[in-house]
Amino acid sequence: MSFKNAFDSGKFVVTAEVGPPKGTDIKEMLHHAEMLKGKLDAVNVTDNQSAVMRICSMAICKLLLDMGLEPILQMTCRDRNRIGLQSDLLGASVLGIKNVLCMTGDHPNAGDHKEAKPVYDVESVQLLGIVNSLNNGKDMMGNEMKGSTNFFQGAVVTPEANPVEPQLMKFEKKVKAGAKFFQTQAIYDIEKFKEFVKFARKFPVKILAGIVLLKSAGMANYMNKFVPGIRVPQDLIDEIKAAGKEGALDTGINIAARHIKQLQDEKICDGVHIMAIGAEDKVPAIMERAGLL
Amino acid sequence: MIITAKRDFQELMENIKNYKSFFLIGCSECAALCGTGGEPEMKAMKEALEAEGKKVTGAFVAKTGCQVLGTKVELKPFKDALAETECILVMSCGAGTQTAVELYEDKPVYPTNDTLFLGNMTRLQMFDERCSLCGKCILDKTGGICPVTACPKGLLNGPCGGTNEGKCEVSPDIECAWVRIYNRMKRINKLEDMREIAKPKDWSAHKKPMKLNIREKKEEAKK
Repeated sequence: MSFKNAFDSGKFVVTAEVGPPKGTDIKEMLHHAEMLKGKLDAVNVTDNQSAVMRICSMAICKLLLDMGLEPILQMTCRDRNRIGLQSDLLGASVLGIKNVLCMTGDHPNAGDHKEAKPVYDVESVQLLGIVNSLNNGKDMMGNEMKGSTNFFQGAVVTPEANPVEPQLMKFEKKVKAGAKFFQTQAIYDIEKFKEFVKFARKFPVKILAGIVLLKSAGMANYMNKFVPGIRVPQDLIDEIKAAGKEGALDTGINIAARHIKQLQDEKICDGVHIMAIGAEDKVPAIMERAGLL
Repeated sequence: MIITAKRDFQELMENIKNYKSFFLIGCSECAALCGTGGEPEMKAMKEALEAEGKKVTGAFVAKTGCQVLGTKVELKPFKDALAETECILVMSCGAGTQTAVELYEDKPVYPTNDTLFLGNMTRLQMFDERCSLCGKCILDKTGGICPVTACPKGLLNGPCGGTNEGKCEVSPDIECAWVRIYNRMKRINKLEDMREIAKPKDWSAHKKPMKLNIREKKEEAKK
């Protein structure tokens, strides 16, 4: 079943993430992909995540497709201008890639090529508009194309951004520009997330809650301090601390599973996007404990 | 004004190591205000060069170094000093440097400064970049705050996920341009305007090298 059809079927949709490595050794990444095969509705392939140069998302999407997984091509506006983006979208389409996640992309300042010229010729909202026109047989300038794309396009949102109002206005723009699904930044406060969903439910889009696996109390504190839009509540940090060093990861898996279960049981949103960040092999365990496998 | 910063002196010395005599050209406008090309800086440069065993044949602070003809006229009295010098050092912006390149075709010309940005002077010797000279102004749509300049990504449709308590992900020293715009639009009752999707920017409005010939336009209008 395709990613889009999974939503239409009404099931609780689950996606996770595969990060292309730096360098051509893809053994480990393929191993993770193999573990996820058959368990997910789709798998995101990141696009030079955190502005760190790696294998391009499109190549890995194609490999996953050949393995029988359903990839979501993450596409940022940091490294390509509007010609490059459209050209890559057409390329992805003929390779059989059906899903695309449109993002602006972390600034080069965050990565390992800080001297790079940031492109940002267009940004996330405009990229969604571009996908829309390619789907309708025209390039963004309105030129007729020979054959159109048929992407299922999505976007990201940070429900805990502060201030949240401009973020929600941008969310609305993304909906208007054609986003069909949203994967959110990591959420840890389900009650607060419900407020966002109440707003988002006004729009005909699917919402996948972002679940980032907490691997240690230190990681939680780090994210609270340095990652915009992520708030790990103190009681969760205490819970991990109480488990000690040995039990931290296991507790993190429990927390993620518990949140997923609550989101599903209370029908809060349409599914989850699990980001294990370096612990992709733990995704099946999270899903199992959440009762998804 | 055009904001400049002094280049590293050792780097400059490396660039000019093969020359013995120099003529210095400063600028009384931006460079003087930036402390990179006014009278005091010129005096200091002369002393520094002489301390390195170099000869300074003359020095002059042009009124407006980017005015080619005006600077040409101003430099006439320095004909001999300019003829004598092996090399010209320009202590203003990249535009001023290229004025000298145009006026003295046979002399090597070196910049002593890096040219940084078009800046607003917020206080004495404090400068902020607020306009990127993009060629197509959008301030009418953004409450008068330019996101092309104030946002490191130049976003046109609102803040990215990196916005953080009003600060930017790139640096906590940067105010999030879109939070500023949001607050301003709210204050002036224009929040509804923020809902409109901004189309991709027309970057062809700034096709390098830019040229503007008002004189020709006026003459055409007369016809």
